[in-house]
Amino acid sequence: MGLKPATNPDVEATSIELSIDGKTVTAKDGVSLYDVISMTGKIIPAMCYHYTFDPFGSCGMCLVMQEGKKAPVRSCTAKAAAGMVIRTEGEDLFLARKKAVEKHLSVHPLDCPVCDADGHCELQDMAFQHGVTNLANAKQKFIPEDTRSPVLDFNMNRCIACAECINVCKDVLMIDALQFMKKGGFNQVVPKGDLPLNCEFCGDCLAVCPVGAITNKFSKYLYKPWQIKKTTTTCNYCGDGCQMYLETKDEEVVRVTSPLSWKNKWGDRSDTAKGHGGLCVRGRFGFESLDSQSRLVQPLVRESGRLVEKPWLETMHGLVDRFVEIKGKYGPDAIAGLVTARCTNEELYLFQKLMRTAFGTNQLDSSVRYGHMNFVLASQHAVGLGRTSNDWEDLTKAKAIIVIGSNITETNPLTAVRIKEAVRVYRAQVVTLDSAITNMSKLASHPFLIKPGSEGAVIDGLVKATIDLDLVDETVVGEHFQAFTALKKAVANLSMDQLTAQTGLASEVFGEIARIFAESPRSIILCAEGIVRRTNGYQNVLKLMDLAWITGKLGRPGCGVSTVTEEPNEQGAVDMGAASEFLPGQGRYDDPEVREHFAKAWGTELPPPSSRAHLVEILKRCRTGQIKALYILGENPLATLPASMEVRAGLERLELLVVQDPFLTDTAKLAHFVLPACTYAEKDGTFTNFEGRVLRVRQAMDSRGESLPDWHIMTALANAMGCQWDYESANDIQSEIMKLLPGYYNLGQPRKALPTSERYSSKGYATEVMERYQATAESKTPTRPFALFMGQLLMHSGKLSVQAAGLITIAPNTSKLRMNVRDLEGLGLQEGAKVRLTSDRGSLQIAVQADQSVAPGTCFFPEHFNEPPVKDLMTVTVDATTGVPSFKQMWVNVEPV
Amino acid sequence: MSVMALTKKILQAALFYEIWDAMKVTFRHMLHRPMTFQYPREHRTIPDAHRGALGLLRYDDGQERCVGCDLCEAACPSHCIKVISAEDVTRPLQRYASEFYIDITKCVFCGYCVEACPVNALAMTKMYEYSTHDKRSLLFDKNRLYDIGERHLEDGKKYLYAHNQEKNVEESREYRYYFPQSVAKATQSAPKHLK
Amino acid sequence: MAFEDQRTTVYKIDPEHPESETLPTLRTEELLLNMGPQHPSTHGVLKVILELEGERLVKSTPVMGFLHRGVEKLAEDGTYHQFIPHTDRLDYVCAMYNNFAYCRAVEKLLNLQVPERAEYLRTIVAEVQRIIGHQFWLSAQALDIGAMTVFFYCFRDREILLDWFDELCGARLTTSWYRIGGVERDLTPALIDKLKQFLDYFPPKIDEYQVFLEKNRIWLGRTKGVAVISAEDAVNFGLSGPVLRGSGVDYDLRKYEPYSAYPKCEFSVPVGKNGDTYDRYWIRMMELYESVKIIRQCLEQMQEGPIMADAPSITLPPKERVFTNLEAMIQQFKLFSQGFDAPPGEIYCGTEAHKGELGFHIVSTGGGKPYRLKIRAPSFIHMGAFDHMARGYMISDACTIFGTYDIVMGECDR
Repeated sequence: MGLKPATNPDVEATSIELSIDGKTVTAKDGVSLYDVISMTGKIIPAMCYHYTFDPFGSCGMCLVMQEGKKAPVRSCTAKAAAGMVIRTEGEDLFLARKKAVEKHLSVHPLDCPVCDADGHCELQDMAFQHGVTNLANAKQKFIPEDTRSPVLDFNMNRCIACAECINVCKDVLMIDALQFMKKGGFNQVVPKGDLPLNCEFCGDCLAVCPVGAITNKFSKYLYKPWQIKKTTTTCNYCGDGCQMYLETKDEEVVRVTSPLSWKNKWGDRSDTAKGHGGLCVRGRFGFESLDSQSRLVQPLVRESGRLVEKPWLETMHGLVDRFVEIKGKYGPDAIAGLVTARCTNEELYLFQKLMRTAFGTNQLDSSVRYGHMNFVLASQHAVGLGRTSNDWEDLTKAKAIIVIGSNITETNPLTAVRIKEAVRVYRAQVVTLDSAITNMSKLASHPFLIKPGSEGAVIDGLVKATIDLDLVDETVVGEHFQAFTALKKAVANLSMDQLTAQTGLASEVFGEIARIFAESPRSIILCAEGIVRRTNGYQNVLKLMDLAWITGKLGRPGCGVSTVTEEPNEQGAVDMGAASEFLPGQGRYDDPEVREHFAKAWGTELPPPSSRAHLVEILKRCRTGQIKALYILGENPLATLPASMEVRAGLERLELLVVQDPFLTDTAKLAHFVLPACTYAEKDGTFTNFEGRVLRVRQAMDSRGESLPDWHIMTALANAMGCQWDYESANDIQSEIMKLLPGYYNLGQPRKALPTSERYSSKGYATEVMERYQATAESKTPTRPFALFMGQLLMHSGKLSVQAAGLITIAPNTSKLRMNVRDLEGLGLQEGAKVRLTSDRGSLQIAVQADQSVAPGTCFFPEHFNEPPVKDLMTVTVDATTGVPSFKQMWVNVEPV
Repeated sequence: MSVMALTKKILQAALFYEIWDAMKVTFRHMLHRPMTFQYPREHRTIPDAHRGALGLLRYDDGQERCVGCDLCEAACPSHCIKVISAEDVTRPLQRYASEFYIDITKCVFCGYCVEACPVNALAMTKMYEYSTHDKRSLLFDKNRLYDIGERHLEDGKKYLYAHNQEKNVEESREYRYYFPQSVAKATQSAPKHLK
Repeated sequence: MAFEDQRTTVYKIDPEHPESETLPTLRTEELLLNMGPQHPSTHGVLKVILELEGERLVKSTPVMGFLHRGVEKLAEDGTYHQFIPHTDRLDYVCAMYNNFAYCRAVEKLLNLQVPERAEYLRTIVAEVQRIIGHQFWLSAQALDIGAMTVFFYCFRDREILLDWFDELCGARLTTSWYRIGGVERDLTPALIDKLKQFLDYFPPKIDEYQVFLEKNRIWLGRTKGVAVISAEDAVNFGLSGPVLRGSGVDYDLRKYEPYSAYPKCEFSVPVGKNGDTYDRYWIRMMELYESVKIIRQCLEQMQEGPIMADAPSITLPPKERVFTNLEAMIQQFKLFSQGFDAPPGEIYCGTEAHKGELGFHIVSTGGGKPYRLKIRAPSFIHMGAFDHMARGYMISDACTIFGTYDIVMGECDR
């Protein structure tokens, strides 16, 4: 840490006074002088400065005069000290700054006309501001452009060596993919080792580049900034809810830019705890799905076995007739609905209202069921809060973070950046527990590799170690002594040796982790897909809650058990009641009071709670013929669930399958009606990110072809089914939600809700806990040697991102099984060799590739691709409590062919 | 008023003196050559500075001048220009306008686009007779604009000289840098990898 | 618009027996007549609702806005520079003056000094434009009153000057020749020669126009004592230019707030006495002579020099430097894509156009675009006095009275 303010949130820096332009200013000791000056509202030009990282001091623009020094000093690298007398303006400083600009200009090529940064270029601004008019001895560098990377082009002729890209990559993102290299007589920025750039491709270097030295390959030479319409919206890929600018020209998405840019370089370092404004590869380069040619532009209706394009009116007439017919013939429970959590809150709300009022069924579910529901239900059960209790700021300022079962840098890269900041700036201790060599484990202070599928046992061990080592918070457990005794008793049954054998962690390790967690003032457990998408997810989250509870971390500010979500609006889907157990606002569906409230508001009877069905149940009922009509909104169960779920059989048995999607998905190909929906760029609405922040989604362009926003289609459908909905915009729906759930939007801020363990630890805890700690105590000996995981890649998100040409260029489907090099050697395999992959469910032939992040004894295949259909090797375990199907892990044989 | 003057005034009034005065002027004009000319058969001589229809120009070696910088679009007060640019695959780093539209029905003929153009790819010509029955044909696309530029190349050049956009001398066609594409010769030669 | 269409008054024919019902009564009523918006002598799409008592005007209500194009709003959309072509379309008969007034206003906002030669050029062209404006006015006014011959002679001479404009800036009407900080193009020797020729040629022509009108008893009858406005009323109505001076108020911005090269020229400002249409005609004729005088003086005094201010952050770099010079290139791109950075503030700047005081009020909050721009258009202000000046005159005088203001609806409705 260089000159930035002392960033330990627990220590208040001493206050000093100094004089700036004759005014006395109070500042924190040790802060960069530049920050102090910019705090007073004065903006001194600086080209290599950005508040997110330490000052570098290469541009020579931020010169100020300090009393007692003859020459001007660089304010960014100078530390503010008490009693300094600083002058920031004056002819001499202006001339000195002008000289600095001239220095940069003199080796800059004359290519404003072709440069993409033109109009968004700091060098241009500075030259103009300082009135540079007559340069002497300008020369050209003639460095060839580096176009080897699939995403970024490096044109080092334009580089001013400000190192912002290098600094942001190294300091903020901790990826360190760029470096300076002296080449051809000039200091150039090159990818590490002058190899083709191969990094996480977050593009933050592109965002901070003040000139056009780093250019976006996807929008290269297309348009200039003044031609483009810029819309602030929320990213559609993961639950982080990053804000971004969608830049469009007419019907075309040109590029995506981030709030992080050289344009807003002034800020307080501590503000980055709420996010540094950057994006990840998906957000920045995954926009091509929006204006993809494969978008649906016309409703499709099945006619004699083929999907035929039909006008909207005809389609809707036919569709409504079929729905009315089925409802009349078989009753409302012959209809079910599935929705994706990529829809906006308004649409999710409308969806469940449509299902419950217009169709009169409670057979509905959303993609939250694939995992997040485990966390929601467990958290609600334990602490009464159906979402994570920690936000980004908590994560950043935590002193200890246990990352368990989460490849956070891949699934939620921007949340990972928060943890990175916690590590780098706040010196947090990070414990990673995963059965893969994740990127986070490379940065963590305590990285541990555990045996595949042993997450539950690890938690058992941690709880046991905490109790054994007496790390419990006496006051907290004292309040619920009975519960604690029960827990103690339950844990006593566990044998540490067995746990050690199961997990591959030494017993001291459990103690160490428990100690770190218990003794830190602010400690957070972050669990994600490795917990909630696997077997026993619900119980495992509860165990984590137990761990947090006994160490006194439950309900304490800045502490807690957190999760991240895969889809942008999973939290919103839960909050909007797009699940059979919930009504909007997370009221239980079977709670008569809540039912009464909504029945009154909607002016209709709600279907009885007994008819509820979740995803797995719906699919089963489709198979048994109980459900005759299925309304699928954006979901794609056929491509997501393994063959053992017999989704195809179920869908084929339906009398009416309606798919509403921007793309012709696998499921849509089976449908009787396919309704073209808009993407998030073409509609207004809100997303609720994993922290509970409600974020605005804004319309950036007109709907493509004949496609319509989902809420529009649903409103038309409901009205045709006899409802009286008069929503004319997403705003109307929003006002209805506001009336029903007062304070939900809360100006986009997560409502601070301190979870309480009161109810949890008092009622029936003892019986529950016994079961919980026995469940995983039984040891399971794998019958096959390799653990096959399916999971997310950094470049992809669900099945949506495969429609984005850019992301596919960066990370195409290699159709290869990723394995550890040691395993490959052990099996005597070369890269690309074919193997036979066998599980209990069947076998297939697949090529292999070496992957450093795959641990020995495991293999990995990305869940985004079904070619070859590795997913069909998976068995599905359905969680008894939450109905979450888990199918991401499997024991397999790998045999060379 | 004297009697004389009064008499004169009465006389003038009675004889409609002012009409004779005016008729004198009128009749004198009968001896002049007519000021008008018969338009479709005779044409005005259009001055070099005239701001007529826009055309895109090429360099003498046939290379397109336009580098697709979109500055004309920014400069246009009536937003009638649309440029879509791309990278020329045959010449690395070279940007060019893959599509170029001028909606001549919206154009106000102010000449700002010419003033803005950093490579003098645009010029106004003396062409003014392009009325049509089909309004759609007045959206000039890239081909049409280059066609106009070709047919009115001399006019275009004269326009640029007249408006101080380019000097009619050899030096004006030299560029210090390789970029934008040089016409005759660059004062600093390009390195091998760019040739 | 809510005008009472049935404002009916019944007059009894026999005032001595108002109560008598047996006497026959003749119903008379005021006639409402819509003059325009399509009427050959309303100078564009102006509509006036005339309330008539017989042939006499009792009340007249101008209805404006048929040519409203939201020019002031358009100004907020583009850079300061981009608004210049829009000003061409205000008073489309005299585009140069609009350019001039606008550029002067922006220069005042920027506190920008224009080089001396540019000031002379601006004055010369402005006065040429004044000649064109008065010629146009004269021809239209004479045509309105019925004298067609003058129209032809005026247009003949106006044509010479329009062609001169074409040669100067490339357009006859929509000139856009003035620039913020100077002018677009210098006068070439050929242009100066042509102008000098015109100056020799023109004064006799003014006499010629007058031959047709000065003694013409119809002209005198239709103008003398018609639409009289007192000096006090003229000031109160905010009139300016020849319309104000016709009433005997010696007010001319060129003298009162000297700008450009006017303080260096000797000229007199003709002032009328009676405030009637004839006086205003006379003032305009005299101004033609004065304009010729001013142009002659300017041509003599003008020295060689730059025609654009040397302010790299405001004015465009010379084009040949853009090709070779990075700084100039950057300047070019910044100025065209974002405009210059105007200081925050609010200014009003009036310029004496041939119609009267043409003023631009600019509110700037900094940045390249005006926050708000308001145009004080003389045509619009003058229309405010129409009812006052037309009351009691004949319906046929209505046209004369529009004419005497020299209104152009492009400027009036904006």
